[in-house]
Amino acid sequence: MGCSSSLPDRNAGRLGSLNSGNSMVTDSKNLRVKLVLLGDSGVGKSCIVLRFVRGQFDPTSKVTVGASFLSQTLALQDSTTVKFEIWDTAGQERYAALAPLYYRGAAVAVVVYDITSPESFVKAKYWVKELQKHASPDIIMALVGNKADLHENRSVSVQDAQDYAEKNGMFFIETSAKTANNINQLFEEIAKRLPRTTPSS
Amino acid sequence: MDSSSALSQPNFYDFLNRMRHPASADLVRAIKSFIVSFSFHATDADNDSRKLQDFLVTMETTIKEHPLWVHASHEELDSAIEGLEKYVMTKLFNRTFASSSEDVKADLDVSEKIRLLQHFIRPDHLDVPRVLHNEASWLFAAKELQKINTFKAPREKLLCIMNCCRIINNLLLNISMSSNYVPAGADDFLPVLIYVTIKANPPQLHSNLKFIQLFRRNSKLVSEVEYYLTNLISAETFITNINASSLSMEESEFEKNMQLAKLANEETAARHGSILQLSGDDALTTRRHGKEIHVNLEGCEYPFMESEAKDLTVEDVQQLLRLYQHVVTRYTRLTKALARLSLHEERLLHTMKDPASSTELKKEIEKWLHKGILD
Repeated sequence: MGCSSSLPDRNAGRLGSLNSGNSMVTDSKNLRVKLVLLGDSGVGKSCIVLRFVRGQFDPTSKVTVGASFLSQTLALQDSTTVKFEIWDTAGQERYAALAPLYYRGAAVAVVVYDITSPESFVKAKYWVKELQKHASPDIIMALVGNKADLHENRSVSVQDAQDYAEKNGMFFIETSAKTANNINQLFEEIAKRLPRTTPSS
Repeated sequence: MDSSSALSQPNFYDFLNRMRHPASADLVRAIKSFIVSFSFHATDADNDSRKLQDFLVTMETTIKEHPLWVHASHEELDSAIEGLEKYVMTKLFNRTFASSSEDVKADLDVSEKIRLLQHFIRPDHLDVPRVLHNEASWLFAAKELQKINTFKAPREKLLCIMNCCRIINNLLLNISMSSNYVPAGADDFLPVLIYVTIKANPPQLHSNLKFIQLFRRNSKLVSEVEYYLTNLISAETFITNINASSLSMEESEFEKNMQLAKLANEETAARHGSILQLSGDDALTTRRHGKEIHVNLEGCEYPFMESEAKDLTVEDVQQLLRLYQHVVTRYTRLTKALARLSLHEERLLHTMKDPASSTELKKEIEKWLHKGILD
């Protein structure tokens, strides 16, 4: 596992939502977005999210447990906010058939692979095809090569991934959940691509 | 979990009290006529769901503008709609829950499948990492799921699911804090939830999930709550479709396990039949208006429980008929008594097995008796 530094510490209880109320206000300035994470087990899907959520943690937020559903609000420069509701999916092969239950209605799909594992890249391409077939046609897709810090063991080239992403109209980025490199950029780039007037959900 | 919407306790009695206020006569009329309107049509899940959802939205607006709620806070209004949902769905429960024969069959199928899987499935078959093995936690989580039929209101059923997921999440969090284990999100969570669901074999799993999806207020089935509900739905889907390959087993091994499990279950069923004579321990004690009523079932023998049709003689018919009449009369009386307490049989039966919910039920009954039963 490549995100040892993302291990929750003693006060890890605060992982989670900044939203303390139960009203879901969604207007042109404040978006609520369902984002689904897909990828082989072991590629560090949940590490990416933990990193993203931990980076901007609000100590007053309510105690939340669990790393499979997390939400995080991103404030953008144009004074709008995007609340990402991040749905993790089980990456083991035996659970692959259940994924449609999770990506149904999602506005964003983040497909993650491990740059040191060619199998995980093959799996990522499988998810992209599945999404093209079954997800909402206007879903925003991002291809994420994680564990970029392990570049000496790289077996998926940037060029290959970049080409594949372009061909499929996806946004591509390499991240390291371990060093936090490009984690925020990933979510900011996604936020930029969201249609401003579309109601999420 | 941040879902204050799911976890806060709306005050149902406050809702009932406001409904008793003369000023809310118009609301009461609307609610009653809505409930009555259901009896004009044959049950149709999708249609019923749409009707309820529309009704709740309309009533939300009505209540917002109602004199009784003029100065009400957002929470109070929300609590009123929660109360309304609970009241209406409790009234419509028998019409809307497990209402089609397909639902009844799906419930039986999934429960039967689980009863077989329970014999041989191990956490490893589902990719539950060793470090997360914790029978005690799993048992607590399973108990939450088993409570699901204790409630009729969609919100309360959903709470059982949320509580189960919370226990699993706490386990995952504790392990990641006390060891070097890196939390793996859904890669950990879903396998544990599926294993817990198999351990629990929750009553009427399919119908409960369907009922919550159809009749829980739409605006409350979002975010975290929606995510965890989706996880249990996906657990049910996975279990329904379990085969050799989904457990990484050889086809022949899977078949053998299923056959052995079937045999074991049949044996247990046969043994159960012979000890079904109720013992003194099963005698029901209840209290009404402070008076102890002891329902003694002792001394009743049911000698035909083990018999097969070919063993019966014509002379047996008279005794059989007498026993039949005795049982039916008793059952009818019990059902009536339960109905007067607004109690559901399944719930009572469940309570017999679970001491915690039994205390809860006792308290509730006492409260009802004090307040006078609704209606």
